[in-house]
Amino acid sequence: MADADRKPLLDRAAALLAGPFLLGRQALSLAFLSDRETPSEEPALALQRIPVTPPEHAIKRRG
Amino acid sequence: MKTRLPDHGPVEAPRFWRTLEERVETPEARQAAHDEFLPGAVPAYDDVHGLPPQSGVSRRDFLGLVSAAAALAATVGCDRKGQGTVVPYTKRPVEVTPGVANYYASAFQEGRRVYPVLVKTREGRPIHLTGNDEHPGVRGKTSPRAMADVLRLYDPDRLRAPKAEGRTLGWTEAEARLHGALQAAKAAGKPVLLLSGAVVSPTRKALLADLKAALPTLEHLAYEPAAGDAAEEAARASYGQSVAIQPRLAKAKVILSLGADFLNGEDPETLAAWGAQRRLKSAKEPINRLWVLEGPLTLTGTNADHRYPVAPSRLAALAFTLARELAAKGLPLPAGANLSALPGGAPADVPTQAWASLVKDLQHAGRNAVVLCGAQMPAAAHQAAHLLNAMLGSEAVALSPAEPLATTRDLEAAVQGMAAGRYAAAIFWDVNPAFTYARAAAWKEAVAKVPLRTWIGLMEDETAAQCQLVLPENHWLESWGDYATPGATVLQQPTVGTLYDTRQGEDVLLGLLKALGSAPAADYHTYLRARWEKAVLQGGTFEQALHDGLVKVEAKTAALAFRGASVASAERAAKGAEGFELVLFPGFAPHDGRHANNSWLQETPDPISKMTWDNPVAVSVQDAQALGIQEGDFVTLTLEGTTLRLPAVIQPGQAKGVLALALGYGRTTGGVAKGVGANAYPLLGLDPATANVRPGARLAKAGGRKELSRTQSHHRMEGRDIVRSLTMDEFLHHPQGHHHQPELVTLYEEQKFPDHKWGMVIDLAACVGCSACVVACQSENNVPVVGPEQVAKGREMHWIRIDRYYEGELENPKVVHQPMLCQHCDSAPCENVCPVNATNHSPDGLNQMAYNRCVGTRYCANNCPYKVRRFNFLEYTAYKTEPETLAYNPEVTVRPRGVMEKCSFCVQRINDVKIRAKGEGRSILDGEVTTACMAGCPSDAIVFGDLKDPKSRIAQLVTATRAYKVLEEVGAKPAITYLADLKNPVEGGHHAN
Repeated sequence: MADADRKPLLDRAAALLAGPFLLGRQALSLAFLSDRETPSEEPALALQRIPVTPPEHAIKRRG
Repeated sequence: MKTRLPDHGPVEAPRFWRTLEERVETPEARQAAHDEFLPGAVPAYDDVHGLPPQSGVSRRDFLGLVSAAAALAATVGCDRKGQGTVVPYTKRPVEVTPGVANYYASAFQEGRRVYPVLVKTREGRPIHLTGNDEHPGVRGKTSPRAMADVLRLYDPDRLRAPKAEGRTLGWTEAEARLHGALQAAKAAGKPVLLLSGAVVSPTRKALLADLKAALPTLEHLAYEPAAGDAAEEAARASYGQSVAIQPRLAKAKVILSLGADFLNGEDPETLAAWGAQRRLKSAKEPINRLWVLEGPLTLTGTNADHRYPVAPSRLAALAFTLARELAAKGLPLPAGANLSALPGGAPADVPTQAWASLVKDLQHAGRNAVVLCGAQMPAAAHQAAHLLNAMLGSEAVALSPAEPLATTRDLEAAVQGMAAGRYAAAIFWDVNPAFTYARAAAWKEAVAKVPLRTWIGLMEDETAAQCQLVLPENHWLESWGDYATPGATVLQQPTVGTLYDTRQGEDVLLGLLKALGSAPAADYHTYLRARWEKAVLQGGTFEQALHDGLVKVEAKTAALAFRGASVASAERAAKGAEGFELVLFPGFAPHDGRHANNSWLQETPDPISKMTWDNPVAVSVQDAQALGIQEGDFVTLTLEGTTLRLPAVIQPGQAKGVLALALGYGRTTGGVAKGVGANAYPLLGLDPATANVRPGARLAKAGGRKELSRTQSHHRMEGRDIVRSLTMDEFLHHPQGHHHQPELVTLYEEQKFPDHKWGMVIDLAACVGCSACVVACQSENNVPVVGPEQVAKGREMHWIRIDRYYEGELENPKVVHQPMLCQHCDSAPCENVCPVNATNHSPDGLNQMAYNRCVGTRYCANNCPYKVRRFNFLEYTAYKTEPETLAYNPEVTVRPRGVMEKCSFCVQRINDVKIRAKGEGRSILDGEVTTACMAGCPSDAIVFGDLKDPKSRIAQLVTATRAYKVLEEVGAKPAITYLADLKNPVEGGHHAN
């Protein structure tokens, strides 16, 4: 029953080749980044953080 | 799923039902009860290969693919990218101890209602709200919308700097422009319009008086679109002034509601009194009785002992008839009330016997009876309620003079003034009339004729879009203020520094005062403090008042003279046109529209319809049958030339000939609010006396249907004995009901709990179904919002839900609400089936989750008889950034995609108390550990505690005669005990105690 429902050979072969190829390409691009050896002089701007400051003149109940 | 209504009622129906499908037992409903997940919630799987058919890849191919890619993937897995760093404070603020929460007392205002709150902050961020336990009225409780408003602080749509004509500018330039225009107006003697929300703050009132003195041409209107024009009109007619009405249910033995939804979660004081009267240990204790006459089904209606569906336009006539009958029985009729014009005989809307019982109940209860009228009901019904309370001499309602609110009539006059070019400038402060005013086009045209239009608010809205100058305001958690409440003057203090370049509205007005030559204080904090030291603090210090959040004052009872009521007004209200009677009411989530951008509220199911993210028009069962309308069908609703196309829901219990539609939806701005639902404000009337009850509406099928994001059919439990409800008579004679207590046989060893055994008791008699627990849990436990499409698939993530069960006839069912959450079973079926032991039992009886161990098989959800486990089908949280992430509770892990989650009994709160008790060298006290749902429940229906402590409140409650466990026969040994619901109908001539 399982064999009867299987996809054509060509489809399966294409999936077997394309999957590892695409994943591998992604993996290699992560492992060997172009700028990995030469970090830029200026560090990238830190993410814009929202300043969380304590309230002025407030009195806390507990803590 | 389509619902076809039965032609002649079902032959055999279950006693309790939640949806029409269950009531008529459609095959789809039977299948849905059998299935764990809704169709579409889980992708359809290929039976043969166990993979989604759309993938086109078989299991064998997939394994081949994975093995081929494994080596390369492993290489990448060793990479050290994406590491964060933990940086300590270089200069730690003295108030902040990392890992320790701070609590500040403050206050939140919504319309005329004030919520004194306690704000929990972590590392300087406000993250959770509860009521202020020092306040004599609210006693530590608050409302769902107040709790959810902490999310608005972190709304990404908040305006971050002033703008003029769309250009960002500094405060100096913005203020110069405003000041210049107002100085010119003063010099020319031209009026300036200031439109704000209700003034409940004595210091704000003083500031406005100062402003009026400095700028005599200032015209101030306080405008609250959800307050109900009719209530304001009736108060002026009955008492000659605006009045704030506060029920005192602790003194009420008999309550008659004329469309009043006083149990809808907005009023924690009333809910606490209601809960106290309903949490009975024995049938010998006194209990109140609630009679409800209303058109649409409200939460109060669902808690009624007797409820009769009545068109709102008939309420006044019914109430005046009641007054006449009570007068005939000897109750004094106040001067100015002439009821002789009323037609004789009992009204046809209520069965004769029930009517006689109601009259008798009110007569017997006398001053312990109260009549409450819904804010949106016609003014005549309010007048009749005032008359009845005066006749009864009711002590169960407190009336106090209030600052007047503008009605549509006042707004209409302002529109005409603007259109005539009367005003030199207009300031809109925390109001959105461009959205909430019925004649939006006329408003837009008129406002364009004001030379300088200034808007002060939190998020750019429809009104801001019509203004040249847009000034960003602080959130209330960043602001100072005060409020007069019965029994205490409440302080509002900031709990965090301003997140953006914003100012509070009062500081803008103070700047204006300075520009006009009067400078009472440098900033509003100084102004407020000076006033408090002069007028409020009597011996105490301002610091102590800030610590407590209030100064207690003697509650004054105002002697308001009743001026009479006109039966003619009842005739006017009852004079209906052809067609349906449309009732427009503030939506549970958006209220008047101001909370529409709050996703927590949008996703909290409406307590009655269980709708999320939409406002369909509710149609009665009879009308739906007559028009052939099915749930979700698009309909056109037409009234006086305005037509809306929107989906319909069929609402059991709604009066025939009545349509109900929520206001506050259909906003055109806001990342969350935009496009959610339809704007019903254009359907409001211009006559304040009947603005929210509109006769002559037409309804027709429009073709097409919408998949409703409605949760009432989710998580069914196959019609088992889940919810129990007793009448007082049954409680007296069969306190355990007629339910079989199963004998539990188990092969498992009895579990041992060495120190604690945590458990919960939920009293269904006290639970009103207000959903405060749902919002409290969402805020405490970082429960994600999934959006309407996901809700429609049954993928909502709430850890606690309120199941609303109907009982009896479709046209007027009885209702029971049941909060349902993880039952923390001792023999938990979910634990046995987890292949990776991600869910297991703690030594103190908690069914706990190890999220990083969960691989997402969902076996646990399939095996849970209570349907309380929630699966992260998608990545709901990982991509959120500041400011949204600032609302997270750092004590609770944020769960990723593919992980199962559920109620943890707020384990972080338990551990917090454990650590504190250990540090102080003592044992945990009873009541010291509170779960978020328990702390948030305004009617005290939820009790959490240690079952091993025989003196604990919970240990005593689990032995109550009303106690039962849901699905006890399954043998799961749940840790949650329910107490059966109680109803107190008139039985055998028994009247109010």
